[in-house]
Amino acid sequence: MAGYDSRRSKYRRPRRQVSWIGLLIGLALGIGGGLFYAWTVDTRVEFDTDPWQLKAADRAQYVAAIALSFSYDGNLNRAIQRLIELRPQNDPIQQVADVACDLATTGYASTSSGLRAIRSMMLFYQLQGRTGCADNLIAAPEAATPVVVIDVPTPTPLPPASKTPTPESATRATPTTPRVVIPTALPQSEYEVVGINTFCDDQNSGVIEVFVQDFSGEGVPGEAVRVRWDEGEDTFFTGLKPERGPGYADFQMEAGTAYIVEMPGRSDPTAQPLAATPCTTDGGEDAIISYRVFFRQV
Amino acid sequence: MLRFLVSLLIGLAVGVVVGLYLGWVQFPVEFVDSPASSLAERYKDDYIVMVASGYLKDGDLGGAVERLRILGVPNIPAYVQEVTERYISNSQNADDISVLVALSESLGRLTPIMLPYRKIAAPGVGS
Repeated sequence: MAGYDSRRSKYRRPRRQVSWIGLLIGLALGIGGGLFYAWTVDTRVEFDTDPWQLKAADRAQYVAAIALSFSYDGNLNRAIQRLIELRPQNDPIQQVADVACDLATTGYASTSSGLRAIRSMMLFYQLQGRTGCADNLIAAPEAATPVVVIDVPTPTPLPPASKTPTPESATRATPTTPRVVIPTALPQSEYEVVGINTFCDDQNSGVIEVFVQDFSGEGVPGEAVRVRWDEGEDTFFTGLKPERGPGYADFQMEAGTAYIVEMPGRSDPTAQPLAATPCTTDGGEDAIISYRVFFRQV
Repeated sequence: MLRFLVSLLIGLAVGVVVGLYLGWVQFPVEFVDSPASSLAERYKDDYIVMVASGYLKDGDLGGAVERLRILGVPNIPAYVQEVTERYISNSQNADDISVLVALSESLGRLTPIMLPYRKIAAPGVGS
């Protein structure tokens, strides 16, 4: 009987409170499921990303902004620091050359602002002794106005007659030939665009307001202003709304269209098309962005 | 059998908690190919300063607005104003403030707090 009692049968062994096998299986399944959920189903909301995580197009814009900023302040350390935050694969300055090369082969280079940005990038990396394909694709900025030197001989005036006969000089005076410099300047515009501001107002939505001013800032009435877009153009005149000033004129844009503004024959057109894009007013109303364009006499 | 199932459930619960902790906190997904709209605020601010500097260099307001568009904010002038005023309130670098003020002014958002930092006068605003 004693032998029977001492025998450890599975029925007499003390039962554990937990099944370790069950616990381990549950743990493995739980961790796997949790990771799947956290990494796939409901990933952490994307925010607070760093510049190195940007997609290629936005990264290129970021690099362009660095180069533009450098062209303004010339702060190389700051520019390099900003480039390093992009975690470049190789030399951070060469990265600028590579991005400029990529942008120069796209439509980005077809706009004047894009071209300026690429030139800023080229200036940045060329100053640091780097090269890139943009050097061959983008022409150098326009050279200074060429100057033609014309030598115009001017006669030497004779001295006034005197009673004493002047002995004949052994050497005759030679005519002096001063160098007259006549610059071959391009035709000068009478007006230039000195500012373009934007504003968003649902009461005054999608309007190009033009202000034509003389050199002292006074409004000039009766000046023709032309607006051009893909499918047409319109010409209107300043001074027809005297309550807004003698040099004022405006034009109503259509949403989604881009416009070039100029004073025909008297100014260059705006460098950048004015796009009628949506905006939101301070009060939260939807509207179309409006522009104020200032022409001033030069 | 009941003991096994209870253990399995306990393990599952603990495992899920551990898995979520690892997946969300310890080893979160690292995003690449992110849009600029998801940039951390300090990088967005820095980007606006860079664009404003570029604007002061080339005077191309349309280009500056186009560059800021990638930040995905609905009202760019209001956002530039907000950043400018925050820079002023936090006494950030005076040079950065002055370029931001210039851009903000050109976007028609010159407020009294910006006046001491005004660098360039936008021609005839409001005339």
